[in-house]
Amino acid sequence: MGITIRRATIRDVQAMQNANLLNLPENYQLKYYMYHILSWPQTSFVATTYDVDEPEDESSEKDVVDQLAEVNLAGFTTVDSAEIDPKGDSAYINKGEKIVGYVLGKMEDDPDAEDKIPHGHITSLAVMRTYRRMGLAEKLMKQLLYAMCEVFKARYVSLHVRKSNRAALHLYRDSLTFEVTSIEKCYYQDDEDAYAMKKVFKLEEMLPYHGHSEVDDLTTDLI
Amino acid sequence: MVARKPIFAHKEDANAREALTLYEAKQYKKALKLVDQNLKKNLSHAESLALKGCCNYQLGHKSEAENYILRALKNGSTNYLVNHLAGIYYRNVENYPEAAIWYKAAVDNGSHNTPILRDLALLQLQTRDYKNLRECRQKYLESQPGFRANWTALAVSHHLNKDFDAAVSTLDKIEGIIKEHLQEQDMYEHSECVLYKISIIFETGNVARALEELEAKSDEIRDRLSFLEMKANFLLLLGKQKEASLIYRQLLQRNPDQASYYQSLEIALGTSNEAPEIRLKLYDKLSSFYPRADPPKILPLSFLPASHPEFKKRAADYVLTQLKRGVPAAFVNIKPFYNDHHKASVILSIVQEFFENEINNFPPPVFVWANYFLAQHYLYVNQLDKALCYIDTALEHTPTLVELYILKARIVKHSGDFIEASHIMQKGRSLDLQDRFINSKATKYLFRANKVEEAIDCVSLFTKNDDDAANGLGDLQVMQSNWTLVESAEGYSRLYYEQCALAKQEGIESEKSTETMDLAEIYLGLALKRFMSVLKVFQVYENDQFDYHSYCMRVGTTRDYIEMVKWEDKLHSTPIYVRAIRGFTKLLQEVRVELLNSETDETVSKEKKKRNVKKIKQINVKKKNEVMARVQPSPKDEDPLGQKALNEFREANKLLSQLESLVKQLSLEAANYLFTWDLAYDFYKHEKKYVLALQALRSWSKIVDPQNKKLRVVGNRVLDLQSAVEQDGSVNVAIAKVVQKGLESAFPELSEGQENLLSVYSH
Repeated sequence: MGITIRRATIRDVQAMQNANLLNLPENYQLKYYMYHILSWPQTSFVATTYDVDEPEDESSEKDVVDQLAEVNLAGFTTVDSAEIDPKGDSAYINKGEKIVGYVLGKMEDDPDAEDKIPHGHITSLAVMRTYRRMGLAEKLMKQLLYAMCEVFKARYVSLHVRKSNRAALHLYRDSLTFEVTSIEKCYYQDDEDAYAMKKVFKLEEMLPYHGHSEVDDLTTDLI
Repeated sequence: MVARKPIFAHKEDANAREALTLYEAKQYKKALKLVDQNLKKNLSHAESLALKGCCNYQLGHKSEAENYILRALKNGSTNYLVNHLAGIYYRNVENYPEAAIWYKAAVDNGSHNTPILRDLALLQLQTRDYKNLRECRQKYLESQPGFRANWTALAVSHHLNKDFDAAVSTLDKIEGIIKEHLQEQDMYEHSECVLYKISIIFETGNVARALEELEAKSDEIRDRLSFLEMKANFLLLLGKQKEASLIYRQLLQRNPDQASYYQSLEIALGTSNEAPEIRLKLYDKLSSFYPRADPPKILPLSFLPASHPEFKKRAADYVLTQLKRGVPAAFVNIKPFYNDHHKASVILSIVQEFFENEINNFPPPVFVWANYFLAQHYLYVNQLDKALCYIDTALEHTPTLVELYILKARIVKHSGDFIEASHIMQKGRSLDLQDRFINSKATKYLFRANKVEEAIDCVSLFTKNDDDAANGLGDLQVMQSNWTLVESAEGYSRLYYEQCALAKQEGIESEKSTETMDLAEIYLGLALKRFMSVLKVFQVYENDQFDYHSYCMRVGTTRDYIEMVKWEDKLHSTPIYVRAIRGFTKLLQEVRVELLNSETDETVSKEKKKRNVKKIKQINVKKKNEVMARVQPSPKDEDPLGQKALNEFREANKLLSQLESLVKQLSLEAANYLFTWDLAYDFYKHEKKYVLALQALRSWSKIVDPQNKKLRVVGNRVLDLQSAVEQDGSVNVAIAKVVQKGLESAFPELSEGQENLLSVYSH
């Protein structure tokens, strides 16, 4: 399976909710995902598998449920629809298209917020454990940060991260150059503290390959 | 609400008006007091009755509310105030079709209250009454033309009616009006509205005009990604390949991990059908710009043939890089190429050669990941012994790596030992108790091992558990964790069948079987209850859209709003939902068969039937309480074991209406599922609605046999329907003829007789 990174759409929200419920302790109702997509359609992204080749052969994972379904009530031999229909797995949005990570971002929209200059916030980010170490979280974040800055003129973005979550801290501080602004005591429901982090934007530096030695000059023929 | 002239005058009306003012100020208790005074004098005062219904609802006396609304409507069905209050009531209880009826009635009966028009429009959207929506939005715009949102809303209503020209001209008009007045804070909404308009122009098929407009408005568009994607697509469709290719290159600069850009770029460059060497050159160039992007590395593996020397080189580079880095998905990433068995054997040889010759040059984790890879390979080709061997080697080496347990459990699951598989997953979980992913896996495997309650306890370690809740089920329902709900329902279903089978073995009359049947009864109720909780979640999903009918018009996010409407229209084709309905209807069919048997079985005396029913209702109290204490998500739950629901289904009408509504829902929204037509066919045949059964049969055969290979299963089902009609003595002759004709026109071989049909449908 190849992995593609693209903007999230309303069709992805159920699978995003599923990825959140499987991986993270902070969960939201579907309406909150819808709220993100329908308020700031440009600031949420997903990582999905896609068919590089012909459709994937899914028969290798045959579920017990499917076997049960073979008993036909009408009493004559027929085809088991569970074998033919899309797999009943909430991670899939299409055949071969499975959501393995997402980032959900929003702009500050609280009228009582202290800071009136436009800024964004990361609501949630998750990558399935089995798809880690491929840099997906960083790639998702970079797309989001660029979009927030470009479309909504956000001047900075903030987020919270669990004090114990070293992998996430490494990503935000070291790879994405966020700074810790404060520690919020008992931020999470289980009373764990959070680091509040912040990154100030410079749009021209936000392209994913900013500063790379070889750059497509958009004039020379590629072949 | 606007004050109105009294209809039949007097004190009551004055009181009602005052009560209305109080109601609008949310002083429900005071309003109720006034209304009660009225009703003491005049029991049938419609406005007072309606207000009483609404006040009752607001004050939490929800079960009494509807009765007053119904009485109010009986006494004042043409009173627009009563209509409006009834509309408000039904909207509050989320009965949108009914609410739409009464809002419409309020307008038709002469209310001049313009906000009613806006509210009615939202209900028309919710119920997809696009025809009347347009008029309503138009009228409302005329009353409030000063807001852009009202113009946008009118354009959306034209769009939903597929009147593209009217939609575009409405958007053009407001753009012209507002041009000089736009402030910085309006620019995002403006940008979205412009893009919406262009997308509609594109939808009419006039690509050139869409491109023209896009370029003309370029400076006003904030969403540059959409701008570029649209522009590239338009150029491509207009045959301007070179220009399109440059836009795709810009898009790649923004996001080199978006695979579809590479495919589109190739279309623009015309290289899709070129020799692999040429395409490889392109991808190598792109890879030098974007060294960390995945698509330029993986896509060549699909067009390079297995025999091409570059294939092995590239595949090795791809796989081994990931192995050395310890990427858990290394196998999953390369797996699509297993469709080509030549490629599969090249890939296997790459990893095997590496494993045999080079592994010692690398740090120990690489050895573990290579074993992990090979175990996945052998699982994929279904050589479970070999798979186990590799995963055990890896585990011996690093018994602390959670991923290894996940894979081993999966291998063991494939061998059919669900209990052992769940033990292994639990071991993996114990290594990282903070990680919810492994917790979810362990929970799933417990469910599959039919340890439903243990599974719930496991998943509850990560839920917010209220003080009075036995476990996290309540939170999982609120948080809409469909996978848990479905897995638990399926678990209970399996336990139910297990108990049924056991009871059969034990013999019908034995003491023991009574106990077994009691347990079966409990599991059946629980399974039904869990499946129904998924139905409830999807009802919430459906209602969730309501607020966005107005919200998106204000924000301007109409492109995504239209997508939302389309998505909601097919909501019930979501795979997990169909899976739930599959399990749910199977149990309902069991209940129906049970009902039919008890109806037709004359040997069972009435006396005995009564006894049975009595027994069903009072299953072993001790056992029941025991189970209850463990499953009850909240003490407030009135039907913790689902027994009430089950007994309701035993009244045939409820069961049939439930089945019928599901059949209709899936036929509309999930027509691409074979299951939909299986269900519809069985239902309609059973209900002797043969014409509908015929339609279901035709839809079914198109999915089961898309290439029309004349499969035997299709032939069988044709004959099944034919004989069902023939054997039904009560069938209307005209209907029988219609069905026979319909069968013969869809399956012409049938007119030459059944034998002939089967001889053709023999594959």
